Amino acid sequence: MGKTGVSNPFREDLVSRNVAEACSVVIFGATGDLTHRKLIPALYNLAVDGELPAGVQILGFARRDWTDEFFREGLEKLNRQVSRTGHDEEIWESLASNIHYHQSEFQDQDGYKRLSEQLDEIDRERGGKGNRLFYIASAPEYFDDILLNLKKAGLSQEVPNCDGCWSRVIVEKPFGTTLATAQHLNEVVNGTFEERDTYRIDHYLGKETAQNIMVLRFANAIFEPMWNKEHIDHVQITCAEQLGMEGGRGGYYDKAGALRDMVQNHLLQLLSLVAMEPPTDLTADGVRDEKVKVIRSLRQWNTPELVAENVIRGQYVAGNINGKEVPGYREEGRVDPESETEAYVALRCMIDTWRWSGVPFYVRVGKRLPKKATEISIHFKETPSVLFNAMPGGVPAGNVLVIRIQPDEGISLMMNSKLPGTTLRMEPVKMDFHYASSFGKSSPEAYERLLLDAMAGDATLFARRDEVEEAWRFIDKIHKAWAESSEELPIAGYPAGSWGPREADEMLAKDGRTWRRL
Amino acid sequence: MSEIISTEGLGIPVEVGAIDSQLKKLWEADEASTNASLMNFLVYTEHPSKLQGNSETIQELTREHACRAVLIALNRNATEVKVEAWITAHCHLAHGKKSICSEQVSFLLHGKSLGRLRNTVFAHLNSDLPLVFWWQGEFSDLFEERLYRLLNRLIFDSSSWSDPKAGFLRLLEVRKDTKGGVVTQDLAWTRSYFYRLAVARLFDEPMAQKSFPEIELVRVKARSQHRTAALLLLAWVITRSGWSVQTQESDRVILESREGRRVVAELIWDDEGAPISELEIGAPNCKVKISREAGNSHLCQSVCSDDHCVELSGPADSDEAAGLVASQLSRGGKNSLFLHVLPQFMELLEWGD
Repeated sequence: MGKTGVSNPFREDLVSRNVAEACSVVIFGATGDLTHRKLIPALYNLAVDGELPAGVQILGFARRDWTDEFFREGLEKLNRQVSRTGHDEEIWESLASNIHYHQSEFQDQDGYKRLSEQLDEIDRERGGKGNRLFYIASAPEYFDDILLNLKKAGLSQEVPNCDGCWSRVIVEKPFGTTLATAQHLNEVVNGTFEERDTYRIDHYLGKETAQNIMVLRFANAIFEPMWNKEHIDHVQITCAEQLGMEGGRGGYYDKAGALRDMVQNHLLQLLSLVAMEPPTDLTADGVRDEKVKVIRSLRQWNTPELVAENVIRGQYVAGNINGKEVPGYREEGRVDPESETEAYVALRCMIDTWRWSGVPFYVRVGKRLPKKATEISIHFKETPSVLFNAMPGGVPAGNVLVIRIQPDEGISLMMNSKLPGTTLRMEPVKMDFHYASSFGKSSPEAYERLLLDAMAGDATLFARRDEVEEAWRFIDKIHKAWAESSEELPIAGYPAGSWGPREADEMLAKDGRTWRRL
Repeated sequence: MSEIISTEGLGIPVEVGAIDSQLKKLWEADEASTNASLMNFLVYTEHPSKLQGNSETIQELTREHACRAVLIALNRNATEVKVEAWITAHCHLAHGKKSICSEQVSFLLHGKSLGRLRNTVFAHLNSDLPLVFWWQGEFSDLFEERLYRLLNRLIFDSSSWSDPKAGFLRLLEVRKDTKGGVVTQDLAWTRSYFYRLAVARLFDEPMAQKSFPEIELVRVKARSQHRTAALLLLAWVITRSGWSVQTQESDRVILESREGRRVVAELIWDDEGAPISELEIGAPNCKVKISREAGNSHLCQSVCSDDHCVELSGPADSDEAAGLVASQLSRGGKNSLFLHVLPQFMELLEWGD
């Protein structure tokens, strides 16, 4: 019997990870962009790689009055455009024959009854044992309705008298908008599905380089002994985007803002991977226990004074990107012209643990910055002021280890080297590892890995309830201070195409540091 | 008859003693390209006419696996003992952007000279990077301990051996000598990777799982040239199922399950088809079948019971050595499943021999 309870001797030792099991994947919000651009291409690419279990059925659930054929045609069209591995007719036909469409309102209880009947019918026809994976990719306002109706229809329960059968749910972001709403959503989710069957997706965790953080730290003996306050001066996490509010995203973004949209989930997840203690094992809970300790140890910025000192919020004003004039945030489509929503935020985070005491983690995220880049940089302390550091010409820069998450995934290390010549002069040099140069094969998309993991019952790369709530607890206090003291904590402006507001630079300058130039 | 040796695509001819300086010049001349290397990849053949083809294989392989490639061909029949060398680089656009290049050094060794192969290998490696050695053809007397002890991964293709039994016995000696330190990779085993994946995939199906205790027939259809690939696949099915060989007849093997049930295994030769063209696992109420037409890049997979069928399409293994090596290098690992299956395979190897 395998880890997942599947009695299939042919699986043994074939692949070194938990085995994905056949199931019906029901996607709520199936007519949306995520389904067309990410989820179906991910399932298709899994089929191309021979990783998709036999008997996987895909059922799109949405409000529009579409047929199976119309649904499949739209999916095929997008798959041709975006699939990582191209589009192979034979594989697509094989996958498409298992794609169905179910029309229903999310609030219509009868629709779920029919869904249940349809799933049973599919299982009867195809000999499926009743495993179900519900993917909630709809607009967040429908999450409650969908979950409650799944429960009422008995779909969140495992099929009776079926050993090893399961029913799981993947919930897309945003997972709440405040601590209270996240707690409410968690109550609803856990009132419907067991926590072990709940998969809160954060696609950053599915990225190859994010997974590589643990390998880098715990499989290389040279780094871990130095991974602490004794040797590390500070850490920077940057997520820069060139894009503004194109494609109508202003409507959502103006309600969320950078802190909710990016920091609460993606960036705090990256921070916890960088800062966590070595887990006792690589099980989902082994890893997540350590991650949540980091988030729980974040010093809380819970007064306007602390927020003023440690958090800078900003909005871009008109500027230019790549030689093209772009409007300011408040002039963007679907954005309130008097919006107080931050399109940029920079934070100084302090982790009150033995390992990180006194080491700031600077986190910044923003729209309309000069380039698209997400990276983590570990800035090591300078060497003592003797020998080379005592020479005229100044102290050479400290070593910097950079983990590039996207694009151009890779790792680089800055170190000091002697310049050729008869005098002793030093310059920083860069040792660089690029995934693309070293491994010609493209990495699987984050959604491929995450869907496969959910089918295999491996929640390591998904956020647990306590992680999400602890992250919101940290974020909520900043929002509260902003709301209560908006005059003392104004939004700083920055020209589109620049590296953010001057105030963010000043925050680091006070500590005698600067943002890394990307 | 002597072989026709073409060296046209091997690059610039160089003096053996000047290889490093010439490689340096090569890179200095092109600042726009990045020289990348994750391993030393050695290809050895005792058929000099294959040198040109091996260079083309490296051209393909380096699309996904940046390496320092060292190609060595031995012209045993030459009377004069000498070494010729060439250098070149294979460049590819990584993700449509940067030009990533892998350097290649080719050697043509004429005549036989003690220790020359080993010395040629070790003089031209990138320090610290793993050494992957693709030995083409039978293990000859040059495949000796002081060479193989320093390899990290040994690739070979038992389908090309005239005496597989002798070859595998040699392999077992190597494993014993190196205390398992060299990862061994038979391309004949790699050839069945997607078949094995498909079997596992189909047996995830409840109806196939239910029928597992009632399996009564396993049939493999393959080209006779790929006998070892077919036998390795069969050995895997037998090992995973926990069956034991009872009797070997000319056209079939009688197996017994742990519960004492009789299972028949058959091998059918089909020299017109794909290297492995079909695998069928049959129980009274359920049939699992995986098949591939010659030249097709997909496997047709089906599991059928009396009432219904599940049909799928999945990837097939490459027919080309370069493709097989590339996919094997991508998967990495210790290849422990192959070693696990080897004893059963050795038992089957006697069959019809």
